Amino acid sequence: MTQRFAICNARLIDPANDIDTIGGVLLEDGVIVEAGADLKSASKGVETIDAGGKIVAPGLIDLRVKTGEPGAEHKETLATASVAAAAGGVTSFVVMPDTAPVIDTVALVDFIRRRARDTASVKIYPAGGLTQDLAGAKMTEIGLMKEAGAVLFTNGEQAVENANTMRRAMQYAAGFNALVMSRPDTHSMTTGTMMTHGAFADRLGLKGAPPQAEWIALERDLILAEMTGAHLLVDQISTARSLEIVRVARMQGVNAACTVSAMHIFFNELDVGDYLTYCKVFPPFRDETDRQALVDGIAKGEIDALVSAHDPQPPEDKRLPLAEATYGAAGLETLLSAALSLVHNDEVTLLQALKPLTCGPADLIGLPQGRLSPGAPADLVLFDPDTPWACNREDLRSRSKNSPFDGRRLQGRVLRTWVDGVTVFDASAEMAAR
Amino acid sequence: MTAEFTYAFPHRHLLGIQGLNRLDVEQLLDLADTYVDLSRKRVKHADVLSGRTLVNLFFENSTRTQSSFELAGKRLGADVVNMTVQTSSIKKGETLIDTAMTLNAMRPDLLVVRHGASGAVKLLSRKVDGAVVNAGDGAHEHPTQALLDALTMKRRLGDLAGLKVAICGDILHSRVARSNVALLNLLGAQVLLIGPPTLLPKGAAEWGAELFTDMRAGLKDCDVVMMLRLQLERMDGAYLPSTREYFHFYGLDAEKLACAKPGAFVMHPGPMNRGVEIESSIADHVERSLITEQVEMGVAVRMAVLDMLSRNAAERPNGGPDQELDREAPR
Repeated sequence: MTQRFAICNARLIDPANDIDTIGGVLLEDGVIVEAGADLKSASKGVETIDAGGKIVAPGLIDLRVKTGEPGAEHKETLATASVAAAAGGVTSFVVMPDTAPVIDTVALVDFIRRRARDTASVKIYPAGGLTQDLAGAKMTEIGLMKEAGAVLFTNGEQAVENANTMRRAMQYAAGFNALVMSRPDTHSMTTGTMMTHGAFADRLGLKGAPPQAEWIALERDLILAEMTGAHLLVDQISTARSLEIVRVARMQGVNAACTVSAMHIFFNELDVGDYLTYCKVFPPFRDETDRQALVDGIAKGEIDALVSAHDPQPPEDKRLPLAEATYGAAGLETLLSAALSLVHNDEVTLLQALKPLTCGPADLIGLPQGRLSPGAPADLVLFDPDTPWACNREDLRSRSKNSPFDGRRLQGRVLRTWVDGVTVFDASAEMAAR
Repeated sequence: MTAEFTYAFPHRHLLGIQGLNRLDVEQLLDLADTYVDLSRKRVKHADVLSGRTLVNLFFENSTRTQSSFELAGKRLGADVVNMTVQTSSIKKGETLIDTAMTLNAMRPDLLVVRHGASGAVKLLSRKVDGAVVNAGDGAHEHPTQALLDALTMKRRLGDLAGLKVAICGDILHSRVARSNVALLNLLGAQVLLIGPPTLLPKGAAEWGAELFTDMRAGLKDCDVVMMLRLQLERMDGAYLPSTREYFHFYGLDAEKLACAKPGAFVMHPGPMNRGVEIESSIADHVERSLITEQVEMGVAVRMAVLDMLSRNAAERPNGGPDQELDREAPR
């Protein structure tokens, strides 16, 4: 029996097709049949959901999520992360390979896929390790892991220090059309740092990570991408100059894309303030001009993907002096609101804000979703962009509550999320259940 | 007729010089002055803290600061307990906050805390009911050191406004430098920071100080030369080629001291590395060196700080936090 239903009276935002219109979506068996202004009102004989004029957009796609599965399930599992994701309007995400054990073999790629299929409510795609055990010495079975379903290859937080290892890995990956994601970091300059380098860190007596460490590694990786022809995804640039470096490389024909974390378009170095460990992330929050440049990059479409950089950490790793606390912040449930903050500040349009959250990342890893096109999977999010809310970390669904947004006032909440036409989150049902 | 001016010290803790105003500082220094006199008497006892419990909680080893606080507490009649928490207990899994909560349950009135991480004392202060004194946190602040330095200078030179004070050495890792720059600025002195390029943070220019890598140029016309300890234990990389080269360019000897104002005073927070940052003949110079005097002032200043904070604590009958003091923005 076919399952057919429609969502009408919605404001459709579809960056892939450059659509911002009042209309509706018709779905059948988990696939979009039709979307557009013609479907404004309920059609006869079809179950119809009235969106009440709120926004319907493709479900968000997040290219950078960490969970604790396998190895540190007390921080987060694929299942708990998927609950947080669904509540945040995220219908697909990529999990990083830096788990215990590292996702660096076909068997482990398969493990993630099976666990995701059996336990998670949203689509989860594994990223494979670029080097064995992420040790930066020997490359992994990139070809086999790609066949098994790894969507990109990365060394996680640890940049590959040896330039020749990186070169060979990229060269090899290029032959398999595998996307290489690399964290631009010169580790010898940033080890043991707690925030960005500068006058504020000097005053607080904290060891700072200089942005130069990012630029040096970024230049190297772009040069290697040029040399090998690899498709490079730069993981979380954080400064104005990094964006400029990527821009120049692209003009020279380098096949490079870049991501920015949603936290870095919201916070700057001053938010570390009174040694707040929830703001200890890597790359660190930079200065305000850097934040503004990243926002500008989103407006200009230069940021290919906006990521949550979700990195759940329990209190025992965070309720410590800044020097001893671990890096990372939970971000899945605040991703959309952080992006919408730019819309509310009139810095970007809704289409510009949602592009790096939908078709931008989808195209990078070759996913059919992330768009309201006929035939695309019915992964959708219904949200009210204006609802004000105060983020209280205790209310977060993620197993770890280390959110720098704790106590912040945000705008925009997810009302309902569908994956393949099935409701995976419904705010009104949750309210009723309380 | 002049109106009588009253001003109550408005802080629950002393976590840093940042956050104090000039009145706070002057009040503390005036009170400390009276405790210098008390400490010079044959019977050095006051009972303003009698019945109060003072815990010295040191996560970093320190002989002089800990004994200075201990003496200060005892001279004021407090019950003093010293706790040195070795880093091994951190390895056992107890976090700073666990330690703080455990101690707090023993209801100390005053907690003097030193910790190797910047911001750690502030973190701890949020979890306890008593008054917290920062006895040094990482490379952040060491407020009682700055206060005792100010008291030493004030007693020798009078008003600090307009004085030129040079702070020389490892500025990057120095909490003493950070607290002193803040305090000297508050009191109107001119501050010069001198150090090798790798130990002189660029951002320090924004603290309200002039920066010099040439010690002789920096010392010109200075009234006071404050030397810092070269914290060898903090060097996690090659900041300096050798102690020999360091002494050649940044060690205080008679020749470099001659660049300062004639009769300029020399200070050092201790413990000294003789022959590394300061020549013995300078350190022991009877007329120029104020180093032992600083130690004496240290006890008096700490008495003043403990006394002042305990007055605020007295207004909290249940020992719970007083919401009117140091109110923090809700987060």
